[in-house]
Amino acid sequence: MAEQMRVVTKDIEIPGIDTLAVYQAHGGYAALRKALAMEPVAVMEEVKISGLRGRGGAGFPTGMKWSFLAKGSSKPTYLACNADESEPGTFKDRMIMERLPHRLVEGVLISAYATGTKTAFIYIRGELKQAARQVGRAIQEAYDAGLAGKNIMGTGIDIDIILHRGAGAYICGEETALMESLEGKRGYPRLKPPFPAAAGIYGGPTVINNCETLSTVPLILANGGAWYAGIGTEKSKGTRIFCVSGHVNKPGNYELPMGTPLRTIIDDYAGGVLGGKRVKAIIPGGSSTPMLDASKLDIPMDYESVAAAGSMLGAAGVIVLDEDTCIVGAVLRMTEFYRDESCGKCTPCREGTYWLVELLERLEHGGGRGSDIALLRDICDNISGKSFCPLGDAATSSIISSIKLFADEYLYHVTQGRCLVGEGARQAIAAH
Amino acid sequence: MSQPTNDVPMVNLTIDGRQVTVPKGTVVWKAAQLAGIEIPIYCYHPKMPPLGACRMCFVEIEKMPKPPQTSCTTEVTEGMVVHTDTELVKKARQGTLEFLLINHPLDCPICDKGGECELQDFTLRYGPGASRFDLKKRHFQKPIPVSENVLLDRERCIACQRCVRFTQDIAREPGLIMEERGFRTMVGVDPNAPFDSIFSGNTVEMCPVGALTAKSYRFMTRPWELRRTPSVCPGCAVGCNVRVDVRVDRVLRLMSRTNDAIDDGWLCDRGRWGYAAVNDPDRLRVPLVRKNGELREVTWDEALDAVAQRLRTLSPAQIGGIGSTHTTNEEAYLFQKILRDGLKTNNIDHFHGVFPAASMNASSGATGAMPWVFTGTIAGLDHAQEIILLGADPYQQQPVLDLRIKKALRNGARLTVISAEPSRIDRIAHRVMRIKSGGEAAIARTLTQVVVAEHLWRGTFAEVNETQLARYGERLKDYTPERIAIAFGLEAEDLRTVARTIAGAHGAVIVYDEMTTRTTGNETLAADVLDLGLLTDNVTQPNAGVGPLFSDANSLGARDMGVLPDVAPGYRALAKPGLDYAAMLGGGVRGLWVMGADPARHMSDPAALAKLETLVVQDMRLTATAQYAHVVLPALSYAEKTGSFTNLERCVQAVRRAMPPLPGARADWEILRAVGNRLGLNWTYRSPSDITKEIATSVPLYADLTREALGSQGQRWNFAGGREADGVLSDGGQLPANGSLPLSH
Repeated sequence: MAEQMRVVTKDIEIPGIDTLAVYQAHGGYAALRKALAMEPVAVMEEVKISGLRGRGGAGFPTGMKWSFLAKGSSKPTYLACNADESEPGTFKDRMIMERLPHRLVEGVLISAYATGTKTAFIYIRGELKQAARQVGRAIQEAYDAGLAGKNIMGTGIDIDIILHRGAGAYICGEETALMESLEGKRGYPRLKPPFPAAAGIYGGPTVINNCETLSTVPLILANGGAWYAGIGTEKSKGTRIFCVSGHVNKPGNYELPMGTPLRTIIDDYAGGVLGGKRVKAIIPGGSSTPMLDASKLDIPMDYESVAAAGSMLGAAGVIVLDEDTCIVGAVLRMTEFYRDESCGKCTPCREGTYWLVELLERLEHGGGRGSDIALLRDICDNISGKSFCPLGDAATSSIISSIKLFADEYLYHVTQGRCLVGEGARQAIAAH
Repeated sequence: MSQPTNDVPMVNLTIDGRQVTVPKGTVVWKAAQLAGIEIPIYCYHPKMPPLGACRMCFVEIEKMPKPPQTSCTTEVTEGMVVHTDTELVKKARQGTLEFLLINHPLDCPICDKGGECELQDFTLRYGPGASRFDLKKRHFQKPIPVSENVLLDRERCIACQRCVRFTQDIAREPGLIMEERGFRTMVGVDPNAPFDSIFSGNTVEMCPVGALTAKSYRFMTRPWELRRTPSVCPGCAVGCNVRVDVRVDRVLRLMSRTNDAIDDGWLCDRGRWGYAAVNDPDRLRVPLVRKNGELREVTWDEALDAVAQRLRTLSPAQIGGIGSTHTTNEEAYLFQKILRDGLKTNNIDHFHGVFPAASMNASSGATGAMPWVFTGTIAGLDHAQEIILLGADPYQQQPVLDLRIKKALRNGARLTVISAEPSRIDRIAHRVMRIKSGGEAAIARTLTQVVVAEHLWRGTFAEVNETQLARYGERLKDYTPERIAIAFGLEAEDLRTVARTIAGAHGAVIVYDEMTTRTTGNETLAADVLDLGLLTDNVTQPNAGVGPLFSDANSLGARDMGVLPDVAPGYRALAKPGLDYAAMLGGGVRGLWVMGADPARHMSDPAALAKLETLVVQDMRLTATAQYAHVVLPALSYAEKTGSFTNLERCVQAVRRAMPPLPGARADWEILRAVGNRLGLNWTYRSPSDITKEIATSVPLYADLTREALGSQGQRWNFAGGREADGVLSDGGQLPANGSLPLSH
């Protein structure tokens, strides 16, 4: 198997790297020491030079985000690490937290220092118990070793890290819903503006970054922003942890330079399609990103190329669907997720996702009508761009893209009352 | 909320081709409303911050990305061009309405909201003609009681969260919450806290659909059968503006009329559902006269003759009158007039708090701060910096003021509660001091003592009177924080802190309940609080004010109208004061005329009333007092007559007849007129307006008062006399010649 390019996941294979002693033996916290010797603005500058963009999905330049942090607020500023990794098809943050918790802690400390923040929160998805245990232990070790808390490394700098576990809601990965949840409230997204950089957690200016993003920071500090910027493509710099799942022989996380072709990721790293079948569709960035068909297998996996192909790199959760996958069934499963995870705040997402599932369900099980396909598209149009937060838009991606690419499968369900391919194709026509 | 003021710059924009100018900070929806352009909406409520949840109020704004935009969350900007009727907007609205209706039962024909339902109306105006949803709608058990008085029909709910946001953000009480998530989202009751708010009825009024209904109104009528009359809530001294909705001859509900200066759009449950007394089947319909020891039904003529005859046999000194805090100003005025002019007695009083003798202010009455009138305004509370509840519990007594205080807290005010009994607002107060009952006056003196001892006084009054302050401080020397702290188990430093914050605040409000003054130890409370206010310049400063919170709808009106033994209307001192309430009930008179009051409730031995030679009672019901009466005259409720009430900040407001009078009963003023004429007074008042005119010409405090001037939302007659005149202390700095001052005790 081809070698990965380990930057964020550097040393992940080393036994005991999750402990402070081993992590430090391999150069851990040297980047923090280096950063603390610099001016915060210089640290921020280094991250700007690196071209690091947010790994949560939106891909916003990290250094620029930091520089937006409101200055002169009467309230304290906060740093939040978004580790509420819940997007179907993503599992990179979980691996970092479980196996390299100190990389995250170090990244949080450097980033907090760079942004002049004294309190950092790590918000971990509720279901990720082992990750929370590992990060919690790493924080404790850091405190015990004087790497966090008061007077870090004798520099007189104080940074507290508070671990907060979510209660299991996809919406809390949305930055403002995360903040509501963190404050002990119901996880509803907030009205923007004000944006978190102006008023976030407890009303204080807040920087919020994804777990992978923050875990990249120590390496940028250690090797320099220019070094990091030398990896990847012109606009999508650095490496990316691709989470490959679905019908592949070796699902898993693969850290590779931005721009690595999709086919390379699937064939050379993920071991090819299960059972030697052909690829029918790929969801390149997690379930909220539009599907692509097999004709797009050769696109480079960077923000721009994936966007040009009609989808989004998102959180780099590559889901591979083989030729025997019933698209309607797969879309139904994904839409059920969005229905169940809709927070219920706004009408289109709350009611629309429910209706979509009802329609997909009857299509999948042979009760669909010819008009249902157009209705699905129109409901998606009434949700997309009309919902309060991007969750509504996310729920429509798979439906819109799949109807565009695989209309024949939908029509087959209407006319034949069963699936065109896969398990459902062999079932008798449902009576209706 | 977006009233233009001098300091807020105005913004020009175009909505559907119309030029609109609104204050900066206004949201597009509000701007459209001001321009007379309707944008359908559900989750937005003018008294709450925008939520942006219903996705109904879409508009298209030129040069803004990602159309359509929600108009409730978008603030206006200069030159903005808004369209509310584009194809994009129409489709988005139709989409949202279709979504809202997929699970909404179309039970409009049996839904109480039908006919005034925003979902029904907007669907008619903006919705798709038919739904494409051809699946089964959800069903729930119904109705679900969420409180004693409010029922929830869950399937009708459109999850706009108005009710939940009201309880959580406006009333700041637990109770209603959003349960579950996604399409399972529903309103529910907090499992850890019942929805027992005294403001629960507001959630019913705010609900845009028929999800929350009042038990008392459910299935009683169709809304178009109601006759709606603007009036004033008779429940307490706040004077919330209500609309009385009557079906034929029954009041079926009270709705808010939103007077920003008084109720801010809210009602309390006590006021909202207090109309049961009007509909009470046990109301008196026929006059009663005692014959052979029993009250017998008689004609009005016989009853009125009996009253006149009985009263004529007594000398002026033997007659007394007890007036009401519930009747109108016109009736209160006429009541004292009949006793003074017709029966030549000053034995007149009503049940009220203890205040410095009203006559003491006689000479300055028209110009000085009266210790029995709150010197601030209700609306001024919004921006008060410090609020001190000193033996006051608005939540129980003047509930809508509790919401006003909570609004002030949202605006950054700090609340100190000093009281003997715990209250619901303690939970969110910044400081709570539990004292012994009757200790409120001592606390006020202590705070003043600190102000004097630490030289914290400020303002014109204190400067003018600076030479006397040392003498005054000497008089308060026993009221040191240390001594009072020990007496009440408080911290002396906390008392000092309170005094300092009062003295340093940009607007401190210090209020006590009128009835707190009746507790032994609090006889001087009114004067003590006014002193504290005067010395700290919190009497006339904007957003400041000191004084009592009255109990009843016309408590202050009864005082102003001279239903007192020592002053004529408008506090003109009388040479020979009459007997007061206690003296009259304690055997001081042989004949007693009671209008709209039930003194038996305040007597340890009500049977003593039986000793009276003559007891005349005007009331809606056979009260405990009426049971001892010789003549009982059935009276009308506020909903059946016209007149005016004066609220606790002296806003005079019109009460309007909302329904035909109960057959057989008469308005108190009509009864007084009939008796007056039998006493030879030759009164020609044709309506309460004639009495209003007389008040306007004979009572300086109410000079120029006309029903027209009251308009739909009342007029504030200031303590300086005349409409909205400036307070005297801010205007020249002369202290009231013989006010309640330091100097008065």
